[in-house]
Amino acid sequence: MDRYTQLVNTPIGKTVAKQVGLPKPVPLKRHTPGAPVVDGRVLLGGAPGGRLAQSLAQVLADAGAEVSTPLRPDLRAAAAEAGLDAAPWTPQASVDHRYAALVFDATGITESAQLDELHAFFHPTIRKVARCGRAIVLGTPPESARKPAEAVAQRALEGFTRAIGKEIGRGATVQLVYVEPGAEDQLAGTVRFFLSPRSAFVSAQVVRIGKEGGKVPSDFDWERPLAGKVALVTGASRGIGAAIASTLARDGAHVVGLDVPALEEDLKAVAAGIGGSALALDITDADAPRAIASYLRREHRGVDVVVHNAGITRDRTLGRMDADRWNAVIAVNLSSIERITDALIEGGRKAVLNEGGRIVCVSSISGIAGNAGQTNYATSKAGVIGIVNAYAPELARRGATINAVAPGFIETQMTAKVPLAIREAGRRMSSLWQGGLPVDVAEAIAWFASPATGGVNGNVVRVCGQSLLGA
Amino acid sequence: MSTLTTYARAALPLVPGASLLPFVAGRGKQMPALERRVDGVSVDPAHLADYARVCGFTLRDTLPATYLHMPAFPLHMQLMTDGKFPFPAVGLVHLRNRITVHRPARVSEVFDVVVRTTPIEPHPKGRTFAIVSEARVDGELVWEERSTMLRRGGGSGEAASGSAPLTDGQTRGAPVTWTLPGDLGRRYGSVSGDRNPIHMHALTARAFGFKQAIAHGMWTKARALAALEPLPDAYTVDVEFKKPIFLPGRVTFAADDGRFVVRSAKNPDITHLEGTVTP
Amino acid sequence: MTPAAPRRAVVLGGNRIPFARSDSAYKKASNQDMLTAALDGLVERFGLAGERLGDVVAGAVLKHSRDFNLTRECVLGSRLAPETPAYDIQQACGTGLEAAILVANKIALGQIEAGVAGGVDTTSDAPLALNEDLRSILLDANREKSVQGRLRQLLRVRPQQLAPAIPRNEEPRTGLSMGEHQARTAAEWGITREAQDELAMRSHQNLAAAYERGFQDDLVTPYLGLERDQNLRPDSSIEKLAKLKPVFGGADGTMTAGNSTPLSDGAAVALLASEEWAKQRGLTPLATFVDAETAAVDYVNGREGLLMAPAYAVPRLLERNGLTLQDFDLYEIHEAFASQVLSTLAAWEDPVFCTQRLGRSEPLGAIDRSKLNVNGSSLAAGHPFAATGGRIVAALAKALHERGGGRGLISICAAGGQGVVAILEA
Repeated sequence: MDRYTQLVNTPIGKTVAKQVGLPKPVPLKRHTPGAPVVDGRVLLGGAPGGRLAQSLAQVLADAGAEVSTPLRPDLRAAAAEAGLDAAPWTPQASVDHRYAALVFDATGITESAQLDELHAFFHPTIRKVARCGRAIVLGTPPESARKPAEAVAQRALEGFTRAIGKEIGRGATVQLVYVEPGAEDQLAGTVRFFLSPRSAFVSAQVVRIGKEGGKVPSDFDWERPLAGKVALVTGASRGIGAAIASTLARDGAHVVGLDVPALEEDLKAVAAGIGGSALALDITDADAPRAIASYLRREHRGVDVVVHNAGITRDRTLGRMDADRWNAVIAVNLSSIERITDALIEGGRKAVLNEGGRIVCVSSISGIAGNAGQTNYATSKAGVIGIVNAYAPELARRGATINAVAPGFIETQMTAKVPLAIREAGRRMSSLWQGGLPVDVAEAIAWFASPATGGVNGNVVRVCGQSLLGA
Repeated sequence: MSTLTTYARAALPLVPGASLLPFVAGRGKQMPALERRVDGVSVDPAHLADYARVCGFTLRDTLPATYLHMPAFPLHMQLMTDGKFPFPAVGLVHLRNRITVHRPARVSEVFDVVVRTTPIEPHPKGRTFAIVSEARVDGELVWEERSTMLRRGGGSGEAASGSAPLTDGQTRGAPVTWTLPGDLGRRYGSVSGDRNPIHMHALTARAFGFKQAIAHGMWTKARALAALEPLPDAYTVDVEFKKPIFLPGRVTFAADDGRFVVRSAKNPDITHLEGTVTP
Repeated sequence: MTPAAPRRAVVLGGNRIPFARSDSAYKKASNQDMLTAALDGLVERFGLAGERLGDVVAGAVLKHSRDFNLTRECVLGSRLAPETPAYDIQQACGTGLEAAILVANKIALGQIEAGVAGGVDTTSDAPLALNEDLRSILLDANREKSVQGRLRQLLRVRPQQLAPAIPRNEEPRTGLSMGEHQARTAAEWGITREAQDELAMRSHQNLAAAYERGFQDDLVTPYLGLERDQNLRPDSSIEKLAKLKPVFGGADGTMTAGNSTPLSDGAAVALLASEEWAKQRGLTPLATFVDAETAAVDYVNGREGLLMAPAYAVPRLLERNGLTLQDFDLYEIHEAFASQVLSTLAAWEDPVFCTQRLGRSEPLGAIDRSKLNVNGSSLAAGHPFAATGGRIVAALAKALHERGGGRGLISICAAGGQGVVAILEA
């Protein structure tokens, strides 16, 4: 927690912040192993004619959530079928509790006039969301709509969720999940992630779930989803990379940490702490992709999860930037990812990347919004998004996925060096009024890495607390 | 007429010379045929409840036999303060009271009540007469009461007919004890409207020669009748008032086979009241 | 020795006094007065004077401590043979029906031949308790041996302790009134103001019609000037009901004085017997008391609404008797609040409630509303808590008999999160 957040959460700080109208960041709840997916009551609603109620009810039931639903026969039947002892809910009910989450199936909305279902559900409830609560709207991808009117109405959901994200406050987040028809049984991994404190710093994002993912087995171990899997994490010796390594290890993976030889000591310490392996090499070396591939094939019979986290900054405004700075950033942040990825997926069924593999890239909010002094960096990180887009169809054919996270302001050694004024601006310019932690990025990566999210492919999700930049 | 002025008028004949005044009773030697009536008497359930409570009756939709004595009582007082009435009312002793219920009288019914005097009869201790009260519903006689009063002094020695002891004072039923509080006279007085000073307080009772306040005879009768519930639809309850009950006090009540008796708890030889209930 | 096989217990009829609004016609009548009056009417109607019955079982919810043996005292004050045993029970608003269950069971087992079940309540002549501190001081004083000691204890009395403790219509464990509890349940089940007012209006219309056609003639005996239930508003209308302000659930509440039962005073009893006993006396059985069930819910921890227990009791009863909710010709669901009836019906139609809470494979389903409370219920008649069971048992038995046979369901919710339900059949 940064100092400002600490200060405004002291009794005096609270009073002062309130008096002078300062924003009041809420300390975000984060995941602790063994904790329930969602702590509190979930209100599950939906527009009539939606296709996700049954699936959502089942996800909530499996997550052990306490649930309420409106007294509509389809929703009640869905809850009953899922074995949910769902309390009835009606708009006129004066509830004395707050909701840990509002979940709304908007797939029934097929024309703009029906958007009033959003108002009917969220108007009486949006102010009843608990601290660090969640709002999740699920829709049909506009590109999958059967008619233009449906595409229009579904596209409208994006504006709605992004606006709620800016209103909801109190550390709560909101997401829009577009579910391709046929992907109704692919919701669990994503809905759980967005319900849980794992998604603490992710807000106002739009995620698409496709139908290629494959069903999650009923005995899936949600506590250790990566058990028996091997994960490669580049840039793992410190900061966000170290957090990713330990988060994937927590989820059961054997983590192979990779970093430059200069940081080998740090890398080994990280690997030792999580029972993983250390691989010290420079990913920009010409034979690095081959070396990595053969190491993984030799030591681990392949790899299941690849996290392209390694990245550098060499900031200067373009007029002052020499070619070395430019080239170094492009080489580390972009070209090496392409080369390593190619090396890991070549060979068809005999590729180093195992069947059902997961590739997760780390982009940046700079890559989306651009940033003064970071032309090189922004170029490389926008290129990373290009990688995700370009490789997704090929990986889908292998039952694999590729996605990217785009961190916003994350509290790291790197951001600690930023001058105070700029740092404060970076922190506060988001709906959550604070910076994120490395673990927030790691959790989003773990979600992409999970075997339960096979339908999530080609997505770029920002971990930025709904930053105002590039929004 | 308020109770106080009624009692003031009732006491007037005791003042020497007052009985010469035309509106003051007590001049005659013969009982003239006097009659008073009040029509359209209805029952206030709240008043009935208060009455039931002080006497121990269950509050039913039918009236306790003793209840209609209350609307009749002011008429009794009117008779006894009539200028033609031969005795001063104060000092008359209520000797016996017989009530016949012809059929249950209901709370919601409207009663026409009439009272009249009967001729004077001789008695060992003086002279007696009775006041007969009747209550009718739409002309149907449902209830009647005969209050026998004694004017002490000038007794003829011969017993008047019908004044034989009601019971032999013996009952097999195990007696129960009633504790009568000191304010019983005031409580019954406020419900019944009979605020005769002898019932109100020791001080006022002393003025009339009693060492303490005494219980209303009609309360004692009512209390005994309440103890005999449930009662049949039609019956006669007849009591003789033997000795006054001083307040506060403790008495015993025993009943058996239609006969009942109220005695002093301290001294069972003192009988306060004896009575019978006959269908 | 093997006990006799259970036999049929039949309802022969009943009697009640008209129900009065609190602090009105019966403001000075005690529980004993009213229950005795109801008993006496029953004795008269069925020629029971001097009869020794097997049991008289009744009770009151609000009871003076001196009335510890209330029912027995009433029997002694009635024209039943004084050898008729009696006992008091108390299960809040379920008292009357639970009493009927007890009597019917003894009859079924051959332990008694005939009995009376009922109840009484007064909210006017309510017991006031001593302030708890004062009570403690008085008890201490009473324990002292000397006058000085007593005085010393009595000097502890403070003026504010002289105010009596008034009995409160609230759940001891939640501090919420029954109305507030039900307001939550009503909101939860989305019961609208309009639906509640509609139910209330029908209750008044149905009860008024029942009086008009003489249905109540042999069920009710006038008392203290009342011939009909004082709360009955034959001219009740949706428009009038709609004008009332909410009394529970805050300013946005849906529960008003019109769709909630008023505090009332009254007593009701029902006569049950074996078929042989009835035959010997030439009395016509109106209906058989088939079976009954009592349920309770954990309302304290908020897991269920205070008045939702009947929603659990009925399915268990149906299951045991191999019946569905639709297998009834008449339904008597006690209208503690219109929203209680509607919440219960909503729950029975709800897949979640029926599968998750009741453990059924499907909802019980809807009932034909035209069979519900056809002769009016508590919203119109009033609801002297313990008296309601006796009222309903007698009225349903008569209604079933009147229509030439059929099956009826009784459902009564009670304080403490309890529910008592029963099946009658003619």
